[in-house]
Amino acid sequence: MNSKLTQFAGALVQPIVAVLLALLIGALAIFLVGGSVMETYAEMWKGAFGSFYFVTNTLSRATPIILVGLGTALAFRAGFFNLGAEGQMILGGLCAAITALYVPGPGWYKLVLALISGIVAGGIWSAFAGWMDAKFRMNLLITTLLLNYIASLFAGYLVAYPLKDTTGSAAMAQTKMIDQSAWLPKLFQGMSLHAGFLIALAGAILLFLFMKYTVSGYETRMLGNNPLFAAYGGVQRGKLMFYSMLASGGFAGLAGAVEVLGTQYRYLDGSLSTPGYAWSGIMATLLAGSHPLGTAFAALLLAALQTGGMGVERNTEVPLEIASVIQATLILFVSAKLSYSFLKRRKARAQSGTIS
Amino acid sequence: MEQFLDVSLFNSTLRMVTPILLAALGGAICSRVGLFNVGLEGLVLFGAFFAIVGNYITGNVWLAVAFAVLCVMLFSLIFAYLSIHLRANVIIVGISLNFLALGLTSFSLRAIFNVKGAYYDKNMQGLPAIDIPLIKDIPWLGDVLSGHSPLVYLAFLLIFVFQYFLFRTVSGFRLLAVGENPVAARSLGIKSKRIQYGAVLMCGVLCGLAGAQLSLGQVTMFTENMTAGRGFIALVATMLGQSNPLGVGASSLLFGFMDAVSIRLQGLSLPTHFTMMLPYVVTLVMMLFFKDKSYMQEARKANESSR
Amino acid sequence: MLLSMENITKAYGPVKANTDIGFTLNKGEIHALVGENGAGKTTLMRILYGMEKPTSGTIRIRGVEQHFATPADAIKSGIGMVHQHFMLFPSFTVAENIVIGREPRSGMGFNRKAAIAEVEALSRQYGMPVDPRKKTSACSLGVQQRVEILKVLHQGADIIILDEPTGVLTPLEVKELLVAIKRLAAQGKSFIIISHKLQEIMDVADRITVLRDGRVTGVVEAKDTDVEQISRLMVGRDLVDMPRTAPEPGEAVLEVKSLTVPGDKGKPLVNEVSFGVRSGEIVGIAGISGNGQSELIGAISGLVDIGSGQVLLAGKDVTGTPVRKIRELGLAHIPEDRYQWGAAKDATVVENGVMGHARREQRYGMLRGRSIRSMVEDWVKRFEIKTGSLDTKAQFLSGGNLQKLIVARELAQGTPFLIAAEPTRGVDVGAMEIIHGELIKKRNEKGAILLVSSELTEILKLSDRILVINEGRIVGELSAEEATEERISLLMAGGKQA
Repeated sequence: MNSKLTQFAGALVQPIVAVLLALLIGALAIFLVGGSVMETYAEMWKGAFGSFYFVTNTLSRATPIILVGLGTALAFRAGFFNLGAEGQMILGGLCAAITALYVPGPGWYKLVLALISGIVAGGIWSAFAGWMDAKFRMNLLITTLLLNYIASLFAGYLVAYPLKDTTGSAAMAQTKMIDQSAWLPKLFQGMSLHAGFLIALAGAILLFLFMKYTVSGYETRMLGNNPLFAAYGGVQRGKLMFYSMLASGGFAGLAGAVEVLGTQYRYLDGSLSTPGYAWSGIMATLLAGSHPLGTAFAALLLAALQTGGMGVERNTEVPLEIASVIQATLILFVSAKLSYSFLKRRKARAQSGTIS
Repeated sequence: MEQFLDVSLFNSTLRMVTPILLAALGGAICSRVGLFNVGLEGLVLFGAFFAIVGNYITGNVWLAVAFAVLCVMLFSLIFAYLSIHLRANVIIVGISLNFLALGLTSFSLRAIFNVKGAYYDKNMQGLPAIDIPLIKDIPWLGDVLSGHSPLVYLAFLLIFVFQYFLFRTVSGFRLLAVGENPVAARSLGIKSKRIQYGAVLMCGVLCGLAGAQLSLGQVTMFTENMTAGRGFIALVATMLGQSNPLGVGASSLLFGFMDAVSIRLQGLSLPTHFTMMLPYVVTLVMMLFFKDKSYMQEARKANESSR
Repeated sequence: MLLSMENITKAYGPVKANTDIGFTLNKGEIHALVGENGAGKTTLMRILYGMEKPTSGTIRIRGVEQHFATPADAIKSGIGMVHQHFMLFPSFTVAENIVIGREPRSGMGFNRKAAIAEVEALSRQYGMPVDPRKKTSACSLGVQQRVEILKVLHQGADIIILDEPTGVLTPLEVKELLVAIKRLAAQGKSFIIISHKLQEIMDVADRITVLRDGRVTGVVEAKDTDVEQISRLMVGRDLVDMPRTAPEPGEAVLEVKSLTVPGDKGKPLVNEVSFGVRSGEIVGIAGISGNGQSELIGAISGLVDIGSGQVLLAGKDVTGTPVRKIRELGLAHIPEDRYQWGAAKDATVVENGVMGHARREQRYGMLRGRSIRSMVEDWVKRFEIKTGSLDTKAQFLSGGNLQKLIVARELAQGTPFLIAAEPTRGVDVGAMEIIHGELIKKRNEKGAILLVSSELTEILKLSDRILVINEGRIVGELSAEEATEERISLLMAGGKQA
């Protein structure tokens, strides 16, 4: 019993210490650029949660981050460093836009098809990398990264030439606007938060249940823990790799689709990559140690930092990039498993300390 | 076609290859001591940024390079501390370092220069082009080889320096030993941690130089995320070259050439999207021919029974 | 007196690995340190070699008190250690492996020519032939052992610790090694040999120190004692023989027909192997580790690709079938390396226990949590597995307890066929008896067991039939009655059946 309690406490101590340390470094950065630390953090809080409008704003920003994070968490848990969320998300968003634009039918039908095509597109792009690893032993981490550039350039080409919106006056590289009937509904009148957020929450809970309670979830975790043990126990790595990469990319594709159908209503070149949703999602996964519910929570935290950063930008002299500094230090501290190693070290010293 | 494969293409290949080559050599040193450094991208980005900062502060391009190197060494120390001392997962530390680089450089860009996206000052001095006395008079070769920044020459020189260091010197021999079997090295009283730190710091120096070449050697400016995946391509070059300096040099040359070709093709009527895609596609195709370690080997290493 | 260790105590938390141990060594002496697994031999030597700090006690060399913080300090004081698992760099040459740490230089450079010359001189001086230019990975284990000893000599060691030096050697290589040790001792070197092979110890040692449960239970002159006395000092009681009934073999459960597993360099790792295992019998495979046992097990269980030949399980051809399918058809498998294959360190006891059971313990794809927990709980009781809770991570279990968990898991698969590879490697006597008892019980209940072990005593104790493997071939078959340690050893070394 006791060990369970300390384990739980230990699991909590680490992220809290990391957050505090990151805020401390952030404070240092604010101080260095001559801002007031308290004021800046107050503005950051207001920008993220200051009013109902800001809260919904934060939640809607968190939506794609949660979905990407879940996909990455699934892959990481299985032991695959899928860093291709950006490309998968872009292709998901693009395919969702194309489906919604060019498939005939009633609005709800287009919407559902568009979401599915987003999942499929992201999934296939990701599974492609998984297939190359399983078949040709090409390092997944690198291939997924490279595929990001290829996907985003390819999507950029499509909306700059064949699919370009020629109706508007602005010469933007973007598709036409999707018909309103196929939009994801808003949750509150006049707020940016849309039904995609509910999809993301459901996704988090489902993934959590899947990983914890199903046979496939168990096998996925064991594969990530020790692939030889999994192979010995009869887990088929190639198959599982294909499916988990498919699902992982599917989540990222869904993130893109949701963002296109709920916020942008068209695919605009760079609109999915510039805000860094995909990388924020990966950060959320790292922060939460690939735990699905934790990832959702970490995604909210990161989104709050980002919208808070915008508040800081509006109302103080401190630039909005302060948010990225805090985020990055946060990850670095978490990656070090700081508190844990310190605790362990102290224990070890206490044990051998009597002689020296 | 003749016009396409002209002197300036090869000349610019040498320029483009330099940051990749320097970073890839750094990656090779790290992987020789058993640390797969995914943070190359971030370290190079830091290098590029601090080179500009150094130039801005001192007004001297050489001090700027030194400043960049020093700063990047500092950040590589973080990588070393986390992965060697705290035994964090190197890949995760590398990824986080990339985040840190991106965040910190864009923040500082605003904080120091008060600009967003890119900083450019037309009064700022870049790295000078140096002609090599005799070679510059050789007709075709002279135009290709001569007239580069000193870092370009240094990068190519370093290939051979590292080749000699790793395979001919005692220190290099011990470094290889640490990478091959750290437990055995430790049992012999070889200070494996110190050697690992040294390798990571060396990698920091190289990435600092790579960054300086990127921001001072070609254009004298810094743009947000200006490495644009070059660090990752360097990582591939490290892998393809089997962490062997000569091999790394060869694979870097290939990628630099692709980079140069991609820029050259932009003059033609092709959509730039496809020409820009070229280096990444070629990298993927090259990976097809060089197999990664199998997951079995890696897992075996990670789960060795001698705990 | 060259070396004396006085009142050495080493505690890991509440557990004492060494208690108040005294140990001395004279110049030119061969001093054996014997004891069962976990008796504290290795800990004591790690302390001497500077890899561990004693909780209390002193070490003196030639009367001077020493404090070793690292192996480098110990090496400086003339102590050298040859580890049980060789500490070699496989891709380096023999010469490089020997001189590492004290490389001959020319300026900054590593003078490889001088290194080769030094190694040749050393090898002549001590009569231990090696080829300095050969890659170490291409050397036989006997030569690798020689390289290790030469390395220690090159470091200038006077005191040489050998940890289980003969475990992986062929009988011929063992003989050569023992001769070499005696010759070096005559030249003035002193040896500490850790071993549990008592016969070899009696052959070579001058003096023997026996450890049990971290304490010295006896220091005897080799010429005044015999194997029986040493065993009593080691175990503290007389070993009971396992009650064995005659085998009643039934139908063939496993049939292997001219199975070949190709190797990297053209030479097959498993070469045209054919045999069968019937229900109700234990077939032992004896051999020096690294002679194709791992690949044979891998090929039968579906983890290694088969070159040619056939594996039949319960009459069905399972050649090239995925692992899961083979397991479903009736195979359970105690793997030879529990950390590499048998467990996931970061997973809990329950999670490690459910591997292979998951597909049975499910409903609509969901794991049946409660029934799984009670199943694992049952094993913990029956096998006396010491664990904090069912949610303790596997890495916090001791080796023996983890092994018991794995054995319990595989026996509980309830399959007609079981592979037991090194089932008791590195576990204490108590655990060994439990595991052996369970294996025999399974055999008496009509199970078919393929036992693969490099411990001859284990093979002789459990097997009804014994196959000997050498360089990937089955070189002999003996029944339990005709098998003796000598006959098996001869076959293991590649000799012809007498």
